[in-house]
Amino acid sequence: MVENERELRDALKQSISPVNTELARDLWPAVLRRLDATPVRVPWYDWALAGLSVAALLFFPRLVFVLAYHL
Amino acid sequence: MELLRRFALGEIEAFEVLVRQFQGDIYAWTVRIVRDPGVAEDLTVETLWRIYRARHHFRPDGNFGAWARRIATNLAIDHVRCRRPEQSLVTEPAGAAQPDYLQQRDTRDSIRDAFHRLPVKLRVVATLALVEERQYNEIADALGISVGAVKVRVFRAIRSLRKWLTQAGLNPQ
Repeated sequence: MVENERELRDALKQSISPVNTELARDLWPAVLRRLDATPVRVPWYDWALAGLSVAALLFFPRLVFVLAYHL
Repeated sequence: MELLRRFALGEIEAFEVLVRQFQGDIYAWTVRIVRDPGVAEDLTVETLWRIYRARHHFRPDGNFGAWARRIATNLAIDHVRCRRPEQSLVTEPAGAAQPDYLQQRDTRDSIRDAFHRLPVKLRVVATLALVEERQYNEIADALGISVGAVKVRVFRAIRSLRKWLTQAGLNPQ
């Protein structure tokens, strides 16, 4: 069984191209670009809060003074 | 430990140090699975990006290398699963084709075809265990399965390969 497996292993190694496992360049610049390209995701509850605030201001415009005071 | 804690808090300088330290290992592992240097570089960048995105889930007392390798393995397996059957990357020698050489080439093609018929789960384990000769426990860690499960997959891959090669008229003992 071990001998059989060894023969199959050798046959596979001859048939499948070897690969060079050495990294040819520094990937940090590419990682930075990937990080920069990531869009900022706003969670759904932030959108909900913003929507509620706008709705409250539409129905009760005087709340803008309270909001301005707290900001 | 301090470096990993700073990374988990999102400090980009700490992440840069980790990238420089581990990018070679992640690339080497990925290229062993996907067997294409260009694709392996892209997947390494993707892995590192995912690592940074998932930094909140990383415990600073954990093993960063093992965690990174598992993410890389999952990405590489997804890639192997999605890509079309690959063309041979073997360079054939120039000159007149000799009968022996043609026969050898046919044999290699048959073995390669049989190998690519394996289900992805078996093929990845067979690539790492039989072609790259990695340790079973190393493969098990990267795949998030037990050593026993790795042995079972290797056994099933060998059994399938032997069956198909016998059907193709090649008789691996």
